[in-house]
Amino acid sequence: MRNPRKFAYTIITTILITLIALLFLFPLVWMIASSLKPEAQIYNNMDNIKAFLPSFHINQWGTAYQSLLARFNILGFIINSLIYAFGVTAGSIIVNSLAGYGFSKFTFKGQKFVFGLLIATLVIPGETIIIQKFQIVKLLGIINTPWAVIFPSIAAPFYIYMFKNFFDAISSDVIESAEMEGAGTFTIYWKIMMPMAKPAMATVGTLSFIGSWNDYIWPLMVLTDSNKFPLQVAITNINSTAPVYMNQVMAILTISTIPLIIVYLFFQRYLVQGLGVAGNGDK
Amino acid sequence: MNNILAKRNNQAWWYIFPALLLLALFLFIPALLSIYYSLTNYYMLAPQDRQFIGLLNYINLLKDPVFWTSVKNIGQFVLFVMPIQVGTALGLALIVNRKRPWNTFFKVSFFAPVVVSLAVTSVLWLYILNPDQGLLNNLLVKLGLHAQPLLTSPKQAMFAIIGLSAWQGAGYQMLIFLAGLQNIPTELYEAARIDGASKWERFLHITLPLLKPTSLMILTTTFIDAFKLIIQPMVMTQGGPLNSTITPVYYIYRTGFTDRQLGYASAMSVIYGFAIILFTLIQRKITGAGGDQNA
Amino acid sequence: MKKGRLIAVIAAALVIVVLLVVYFNNGSGSSASSKKQVTMWVHFSKTDPEGKAMQKNITAFNKDNKSGYQATVQYIPRSGAGGGYEDKINAALNSNSLPDVLTLDGPNTAAYAKSKIIQPVGKYITNKSDILPSIISQGTYQGKLYAVGYSESGVGIFYNKKMFKEAGIPDSEPPTLTKTWNWDQFTSIARRLHEHFKQPAIDMQLADHSEWAIYSFSPFLWSAGGNITNPSGTKATGIFDSKANESAFAFLQNLVKNGYTTISPIKAGFQTGKYPMMMSGSWTIQELNSSYKNIDYGILPYPVSPKTNKLVSPTGSWQYAMSASTKKTAAAGALVNFLTQTNQMYRTSMANTVLPARKSVSRRMLPQVTAPMRFLIQQNLKSGHSRPVLVNYPQVSRTFADTVTKSTYYRQNPNIASLLRSEAKTIQSYLK
Repeated sequence: MRNPRKFAYTIITTILITLIALLFLFPLVWMIASSLKPEAQIYNNMDNIKAFLPSFHINQWGTAYQSLLARFNILGFIINSLIYAFGVTAGSIIVNSLAGYGFSKFTFKGQKFVFGLLIATLVIPGETIIIQKFQIVKLLGIINTPWAVIFPSIAAPFYIYMFKNFFDAISSDVIESAEMEGAGTFTIYWKIMMPMAKPAMATVGTLSFIGSWNDYIWPLMVLTDSNKFPLQVAITNINSTAPVYMNQVMAILTISTIPLIIVYLFFQRYLVQGLGVAGNGDK
Repeated sequence: MNNILAKRNNQAWWYIFPALLLLALFLFIPALLSIYYSLTNYYMLAPQDRQFIGLLNYINLLKDPVFWTSVKNIGQFVLFVMPIQVGTALGLALIVNRKRPWNTFFKVSFFAPVVVSLAVTSVLWLYILNPDQGLLNNLLVKLGLHAQPLLTSPKQAMFAIIGLSAWQGAGYQMLIFLAGLQNIPTELYEAARIDGASKWERFLHITLPLLKPTSLMILTTTFIDAFKLIIQPMVMTQGGPLNSTITPVYYIYRTGFTDRQLGYASAMSVIYGFAIILFTLIQRKITGAGGDQNA
Repeated sequence: MKKGRLIAVIAAALVIVVLLVVYFNNGSGSSASSKKQVTMWVHFSKTDPEGKAMQKNITAFNKDNKSGYQATVQYIPRSGAGGGYEDKINAALNSNSLPDVLTLDGPNTAAYAKSKIIQPVGKYITNKSDILPSIISQGTYQGKLYAVGYSESGVGIFYNKKMFKEAGIPDSEPPTLTKTWNWDQFTSIARRLHEHFKQPAIDMQLADHSEWAIYSFSPFLWSAGGNITNPSGTKATGIFDSKANESAFAFLQNLVKNGYTTISPIKAGFQTGKYPMMMSGSWTIQELNSSYKNIDYGILPYPVSPKTNKLVSPTGSWQYAMSASTKKTAAAGALVNFLTQTNQMYRTSMANTVLPARKSVSRRMLPQVTAPMRFLIQQNLKSGHSRPVLVNYPQVSRTFADTVTKSTYYRQNPNIASLLRSEAKTIQSYLK
């Protein structure tokens, strides 16, 4: 049945798209390949295709990783990073979905105003208020605790907006029948709304996880005990203590990027749905 | 309005309270503190000597040529990065929206620049864009064109940053577009095909109109994010050459943290924050999202 | 609730919190536990060589000192731009929670001293005459010693011996510390290398627009007899735009104009044998020795002004200082003094492959280090010049970097004299 012209067309477009994909993928490939070769080779290979291939001697692959593990307690940093990232992710899903629920399924005085205020805060550049944020954390007395890392990253107007749009789309019939059976508002939230909002949960979760995992300055500011530092601190340290060994930098970056790729691969299907509903908000 | 729980509306505050509290503590109050600090001569190393100086910071700001240069630069950035990035994202979404082999691979590839740390991408791009021996210029020369100064040229540096920012961010908007595309009922395309509409006509009369809400949302968020540009110039050009890539947020950060003039930096962020809100409202008016009942 | 009332309540609540924050940030001093316990913050990681040396030094301090002082250290690695650690110091300042002893970069001395973050430490330091003059001057503000550098840094012209030979430059021609080269001789060697390799002859790291500019290029000014400001740091107009400075910037501009150096060097061009020379510091020795073993290199001194023939090289490093808020001055002073004594400095310098800050440490290190390292130590002893001690140093440093960048854009700024005049005015505006 196959039409040869159509077949050729498919082949050509697939090749073209693969080329485009490589255009987006090559930093990742370069990063991983560079972590698998001696430093001098990284620079010597820069102007040709070998830049994207690991060393031809397999026994050289592990050297950057070995010296890294010898220099730093990488595992400890990873555990810290996981604690913060999961804390932020869980908090973010709960707090933002609660607020989204509040805005979606209730009407109350000042709703428009408060919601408008939330949207307006999207424009505040986080980089410029970091000292003020620190002053608050200090006032709360949670310096040098995981809470200082987790709390400020939890609430986010954009995620509230996303959950709100998701809940808006959930039909009223379901809720009404639940109400008839005497379910409270929290039961409705927990038993009906949340299970139906899985894509939004996955999206908010993935994005918060990536955000928290990549955060550097804030944890460094609020933590004083270096045993509590996340992985990003180690990365910066490796990246800025002269002499900088490029292959070790690439190795630690590979280590820190892999979990994100996995998280993304795992949730990418939901991510599309979740972001889609956020994008469909202005009905 | 979705007003099912009308009887229990007084409970709403319980649900939004945790989020409001956290936002108040870590966003509103810091922002309000900025307003307060903007009226003082707050020098970061000597907080105890802080004095109220009225609008002096704002007056100085109007006379600060670097600030105005940064405003001009961000205008250029926003103007160009919006169509390029959103257009690229739409193109990518159209590619991965069709069923074809390796679709997941393509999706992951397009999203990769979003996930990979900016440290990696900037180091790599610095090398690619190196005028003397970079991959891009090697390619240009092979194609018979002249090598370009790129990041070392005050004229081209911002365009280089525009290009790589679009490249970096497009994968994220692609996902949102993809969701929008998947929400379009396939029957519409079937019907149009039966009516004899060409591919292009179908795209123009079905896809684009139905993508409008998605596009508006993407335009707004890209617009706001574009105004916050800081990391690319900070890492790649330090605002140079000759201040051609300095952006307001980077200038605020530098004034506040490197120069320690927190009062002056706060004044800048207050003015700039209000300017973004204003521009966002104008942008939403122009693109037709003004009638939205929520925002 | 009416909408107006709601807004009022929210606004009032926010204002109250703001006031609380402002109020609490002005109060409360640092907690004084035992008088013998001192805390210290350092800007490096516990696990790198510098951190390991520090741990040994602290163990020695806790064991050795007769007064029973006990020190604990917090390791706070800094990021590339100097952020991280300094952000943390800033945050601590705003909440009055500085430690008793801290490290700070040389150029921060004036700002920290003027803002009363640190207090004079001179009377606690013994054996001061042994410390290098450049270390004393970078730590001195208004005649008082506020901070003591514990190592030194230095820069030289790294050169690839094999490439020099290939280009027909005999071994006898490159300069030494006693037989220096002036800018003209340097330019002529660069020209020959450039003509032979059809490549820039030297990577001067001109793409680095940060601290590197003032650190590595101001020695050219000093060599010509120029300066950035007057000695008391109050005047730049008439100083920064002097004829001497003009000659230094013209030297640099000509190197770029002729293609002998480049504003966009390729990464590791010298390390991989593509550029025959590189202007860089002692950290590059470590890098070459560990990752680029087949580059046969040496280090040449700073080129000098043909007018004066005076050799000047850059210096500067991180230092120890005592916070102004500490109540345990005796213990903190003892710690700073202990860490800046010969044995401790020797340990740090050797572990970290950095230059020594004391003459006695230099004498101990010289026989044990490689030839390039020995060269930098000797150049340092002979010609080290510290950067100016200015309160608004970050702004001055940036203006300097801007000036370097502008002078290398020779088409836009062909006239060095007028460029320096306008930049001098900019610097002047920061010298209040």
